[in-house]
Amino acid sequence: MSGTVLDIVGCGVLSAAGSGLDALAEALEGRRAPEPDPADAPGGEEFPPLRVRAVTGFRPAERLGGKGLSRLTRTDQMGMVACGQALEQLDGLDDDARRRTGVVLGTGAGSVRRLGEFTRDTFVQERPYMVNPSHFPGTLMNSCAGQTAIRYGLTGVNSTLSGGPTAGLSALRFARNALANHRADRLLAGSVEELSAQSAWAWHRTGALGRDVAVGEGCAVFVLERGSDGSAGSSGTRPLARLLSCEAGYADPGAGAAALGRRLADCVRDALESASVTAEDVAVVAPGAAGRFGWAAVEERALRSALGTPGPRRLPVHRVLGETHSAGASLQLASVLAHWRSADTAERVGLVTSLGPDGQVGCAVVERAGTAAG
Amino acid sequence: MSESRPRRVAVTGLGAVSSLGLGARAVTESIRRGRSGIGPIEQFDSAGFERVLAGEVRDFRPGDHLDRIDPDQWGRSGQFAAAAARMAVGDAGLDPEELSRSRAGSSFGTTNGESGVLGELSSEWVRGGLSSLSPELVGRADAGRIGAAVNAELGLTGEAQTVGTACAASNYAIGYGYDLVRNGEADFMVCGGADASNRATHAGFHRLGALAKDVSRPFDAHRDGIVTAEGGVALILEPLESARERGARVYAELLGYGMTCDARHMTNPDAASIAECIRGAHRDAGVKAEDVDYVCAHGTGTPANDRTEVAAMREVFGDRLPPVSSIKSMLGHTMGAAAGFGALVCCMAVHTGFLPPSATVREVDPALGPGLDCVPGTAREARPRVVQNHGFAFGGNNAITVFGEVAQ
Repeated sequence: MSGTVLDIVGCGVLSAAGSGLDALAEALEGRRAPEPDPADAPGGEEFPPLRVRAVTGFRPAERLGGKGLSRLTRTDQMGMVACGQALEQLDGLDDDARRRTGVVLGTGAGSVRRLGEFTRDTFVQERPYMVNPSHFPGTLMNSCAGQTAIRYGLTGVNSTLSGGPTAGLSALRFARNALANHRADRLLAGSVEELSAQSAWAWHRTGALGRDVAVGEGCAVFVLERGSDGSAGSSGTRPLARLLSCEAGYADPGAGAAALGRRLADCVRDALESASVTAEDVAVVAPGAAGRFGWAAVEERALRSALGTPGPRRLPVHRVLGETHSAGASLQLASVLAHWRSADTAERVGLVTSLGPDGQVGCAVVERAGTAAG
Repeated sequence: MSESRPRRVAVTGLGAVSSLGLGARAVTESIRRGRSGIGPIEQFDSAGFERVLAGEVRDFRPGDHLDRIDPDQWGRSGQFAAAAARMAVGDAGLDPEELSRSRAGSSFGTTNGESGVLGELSSEWVRGGLSSLSPELVGRADAGRIGAAVNAELGLTGEAQTVGTACAASNYAIGYGYDLVRNGEADFMVCGGADASNRATHAGFHRLGALAKDVSRPFDAHRDGIVTAEGGVALILEPLESARERGARVYAELLGYGMTCDARHMTNPDAASIAECIRGAHRDAGVKAEDVDYVCAHGTGTPANDRTEVAAMREVFGDRLPPVSSIKSMLGHTMGAAAGFGALVCCMAVHTGFLPPSATVREVDPALGPGLDCVPGTAREARPRVVQNHGFAFGGNNAITVFGEVAQ
């Protein structure tokens, strides 16, 4: 599988910048400052004294209809809307194609708010089992992928991965493996994280956010197909980019943050080799740990070690979108695609990196559409 | 895909933390005898529930089974996963140092992640408001820490995947590990699943009316639901060829797997989709329906699951159903670990020659149709050569693994 190149033929993205890659591109260029609207902060609980960045203009009822909406978590809703957006970019899928199309999503712990509220009810209701039964499926991590499959009738490989900030890369790797082994022809792969008072307080209490970094949310999904030079499965849609490689590794955080940094640097070297590109080819990096206190420097050292100093341009994703935890790696990849969409550059290769406090590290190497070397 | 020829994949080590004991031997011995692991709930305050039994792990002192990680830094699910993984490495006769220098990673399934930690955080919210959440607990809350715990305990530097496809998750995790070993991307994968007994899951199934009054009775005419349970389970996957070269004991060959998604309903199983999953697993494993000697059922013991599962099997197997049984009759429903326990028992069944029982069945449900051999009571001596292991989940996630006998 290490040689498998995938086409990215669609992308759905929701973030503080708004909906779609163009809005994200404008925000990354500073042409549009995301306006944090306190009214957008979801849920009835009071938020901690932190900056928050909800998805701008998120109106799920307009996209999903009002029926049954309250049963869905915000995570479900964001995943469904983003996947719908991505599917619209294809020429349409017939029944056969939907049988070979699936959904693979990354998350931290699912909808933290739903799980918290559901568990809270077991303590405060008259009897501990007097919970809302229609809210039970939404407490599970695979709710979003399952609901999305139902909504769009996608019966192909469906999976959910967890891994904190690296969850989006975990999903890409799972999807890539399934496609490489012809277990599916087309997968919507990405990750999602919802903003809630529960998770915002968690960030506040741990002090894990970098200075002046907002707590964010969002979702990005990519329609992946085996490379168009390969066999069946391609929808014939012109790719936005190609996923050249995606690597993951682990270092025990108990051995110190530097060990994670070294492991990430190795991971980047492996991914570049697997993608048959050099460090000099990498024109833009979207780093993942920039929003995390203490970890930004670890990641930066790893990047310098693997790519040289000062190395390629860094995209300031966190400054624009906030810290989006398990949506992070996917939103970073979307940011690279958005950047290429607008920027008038000769950039060819982009890199997404991520590392988390639990020890996971990972990266993805992407190539801009129509720039393949040789 | 790697250019080189795919490698055959062997299961060479097994580990378990369960209500039926610690280690694959203890679990298998209990299952052969049809023992029950069900007892009073101790992991959370069961006051006010009408159903107060669960399959909980008792007398587990994580420190006794963990060499590297400090159990106090990890949630109960991570402890289960790491301890089971450590046992599996020992069982496989692998040198831990050599393993950690190898291209090795982990892939573990879970339904509720670190549910014990999340339950404690919810309790803090109720008692002292969200501003009272403990930073230490927050740091242990992500489900991804289950795979991380395994890698940290074993010193693995490959990826740590945690798969959250609910009650089918272990089969997804095992399948993923299978592909990596088969294609040469990893030389060892430690795969399995873990979940901890918790309040939210118990309450959810309770409210759905899906909890059995006493024990789960899969395939019984009067079956009335599941019993929530917990545990951790681990399998060591490595190339068959190198396993033989190092003289390892091979429990079974992992022949292949299949996955489907119902995309119809979040909680009702779908027979057509399950049948398609069975066919896909057979194709991938290179076996025909008539080759299958035993099915380790998802077999939750709810009326709907068992009815749907048997209907799906009839779609594929026709009139000749192989023996099919449910180890949930003894373990209860260990959620994300369930399919992993199924895989462990399948490997032991192939290796030592028996069919696991449906221990609690008293009267096989006539509505399930004729010719259903669910191995009632205790294990049956037999020599199954090809066995298949079912895992189905809310969200419409189905995954099936197929194991086969290996000539030693």
